[in-house]
Amino acid sequence: MELAHFQLVAAALFSIGLYGVLARKSAVLILMSIELMLNAVNINLIGYAAFMDFTVDQRALGQVLVIFVITIAAAELALAVAIILRLYRNRSSVNVDEIDTMKW
Amino acid sequence: MPSSEVIGIIPFSWIIPALSAGSFCVIVFFGKFLPLKGAVISIAAISIGFLMFWFVLIDLLSGDLAYRHFTINWITVGSTEITWGILIDRLSIVMLGLISFVSLLVQIYSLEYMKGDPRLGWYFAVHALFAASMLTLVLADNLLFLYFAWELVGLGSYLLIGFWYEKPPAVEAAKKAFITTRIGDVGLLIGLILLFKATGSFEIKEIFGAAQSGAIDTVTLNISMILIFLGAMGKSAQFPFHVWLPDAMEGPTPVSALIHAATMVAAGVYLVARLLPLFELTPGVLFFVSAVGLLTFISASLLALVMRDVKRILAYSTISHLGLMMLSLGAFGAGAAIFHLVVHGLSKALLFLGAGSIMHGLADETDIWKMGGLRRKMPITAITFLIGAASLAGIAPLGGFFSKDEILLVMLDHRGPLFLSITLGAIVISSLYMTRVSLVVFFGSQRSNMDHVHESPLLITLPLIILAILALIVGVIAFSWTSDYRGFIHFLTGEDEFHLLIWLSILSLLLTLSGVFIGWAIYHKKIIAVDYLIKKYPFFYRFLINRYYIDHLYQWIIDRVILAFGKTIAVFDRTIINDVGVNESASSVWRSAITLKYLQTGKLYNYGLTMALGVVCLILIWWLLLT
Repeated sequence: MELAHFQLVAAALFSIGLYGVLARKSAVLILMSIELMLNAVNINLIGYAAFMDFTVDQRALGQVLVIFVITIAAAELALAVAIILRLYRNRSSVNVDEIDTMKW
Repeated sequence: MPSSEVIGIIPFSWIIPALSAGSFCVIVFFGKFLPLKGAVISIAAISIGFLMFWFVLIDLLSGDLAYRHFTINWITVGSTEITWGILIDRLSIVMLGLISFVSLLVQIYSLEYMKGDPRLGWYFAVHALFAASMLTLVLADNLLFLYFAWELVGLGSYLLIGFWYEKPPAVEAAKKAFITTRIGDVGLLIGLILLFKATGSFEIKEIFGAAQSGAIDTVTLNISMILIFLGAMGKSAQFPFHVWLPDAMEGPTPVSALIHAATMVAAGVYLVARLLPLFELTPGVLFFVSAVGLLTFISASLLALVMRDVKRILAYSTISHLGLMMLSLGAFGAGAAIFHLVVHGLSKALLFLGAGSIMHGLADETDIWKMGGLRRKMPITAITFLIGAASLAGIAPLGGFFSKDEILLVMLDHRGPLFLSITLGAIVISSLYMTRVSLVVFFGSQRSNMDHVHESPLLITLPLIILAILALIVGVIAFSWTSDYRGFIHFLTGEDEFHLLIWLSILSLLLTLSGVFIGWAIYHKKIIAVDYLIKKYPFFYRFLINRYYIDHLYQWIIDRVILAFGKTIAVFDRTIINDVGVNESASSVWRSAITLKYLQTGKLYNYGLTMALGVVCLILIWWLLLT
């Protein structure tokens, strides 16, 4: 186990997430892809905290950051799901292609 | 000298204009709740001002200083301090007395004359404003402050001339007065700025000092003095800026009395008198001043001969007397000019108030040929009017005789026989038109429709009587009475004790009387037939009755030059500025927006992809730059 493995997994997760955001039409799937991208970042942070030549304080800092990201992701998810629910109520669809009233 | 040891009323003389200015505000905001719509406030303010004038006068005379000067700082711009300040010397104290006195009488008179007018409160408010600005003008110690008051005087005249704004001629006259004087005012402003640039100060005494020590170069001084005189020409209705004054007759008659006697037209004369030490350094400009004065004196008195409207006759008489004052100022005669200003102010206020009394009795009739024989119906008006006319015509021993005499002396000393003889010639004309208006209005046979005519009430006749008494006796101030008071001109300027040249006085009196005699022969005895002269010289008569075609000339210039130029400019404005500049730039933005909006797809994945690609590109560039 070394840093490169973590980076590889993180990069793979991030790419999958990015692909999902760009390619999916469903708002829910896009949201899940965003979560994937966030977790890819988390893995990166954990990997660096564990394998770099850091002091104890710095390692703790990396892990604390991950906790923060998870917390904020949860809050954000709640908000986003709420928005998607309202959207579904109004339009009976969560297809992002149909949500373009702000265009022109 | 520091003024700290002076504990008198002089430092508080700013209260005199402040009272009137305050009464303006009070009447405007609370007038309708006050008795007589606030007229009492205005009259009370100017009365207190007039009372204070006496205390200030006594204070000034008991002190040993020739002038007193107080300032407060207003704003500081860089190293330049701009101040509000008052300057009390003998010149400003004389003006102070004249203005507050005439304003007071005119306001009392207006109580009766304007009775029942729906905008009485506004009338008195503007009267107070007008008086306040004129009082400020004569007290101002620096040119910027003076200019400020100068413009307020212009505003006051505009509001009062156009007081009956339902009448189109009154509106036109108000606009004409404002715009004509405005042309001169621009000159004045530029002149002041030039002086400020040369000396770094607006303070009158400092500018005097700088100019006398030669700190201002001659060209600048000459240019600025000519420009300042332009301002004085506009306000004092000198030829060719005189056109607004006769039209200003559209305002209420007491307003005419005020404008012609103490305010507005006196401002120009006062300005030149105040700045005479500067004018004396530029003899060329001074000659120009007297030449303009002489031209105005003659041309206006000729016009007064042919007018039919009593107020217009008096207006042209005012213009010609203002010319006489300028003539005297241009010949170093500040004392004589101010003396004439005072005498003329009292007499002309009397004449205008008299004319107002006639109009009051005759249902606003102003054509002198529809009057006649009024001396029986309106004895007080007739007698007082005759006194005023005689004083202005220059019949001894009334005031006008002495002031005219002083001016003739100045002419003789400084301008030589040519100016003197032309002035003497014009004196005949000026007594002739005064005789004409007096004889036609008050003597001769009574018109048939005059049965209902009656003498005016006390509030109108009382100011007339007071002014008539003053016009009768004002000549005494010309004489030397004590060792301290050696004639009015000596009082004012500290030089030129009172003296008479017997031959000159007798000559001018004879010329005046000959004018009266000719007038008597023409208009009373009908020995000389005017109609015959008119028929014989129709061209000359038409020239006069059309006021030298100057109004026509101005109208032509406005129509053919200014408006035509304006139309050309308007085309440029429409096509270049508006169509190309404004509309075209707006519509180009519009067109580009129409085109560019299709860049927005509204598809989330388009934006996401663009963002992702952008990040990749940035990383690539960063990586390339690093290696």
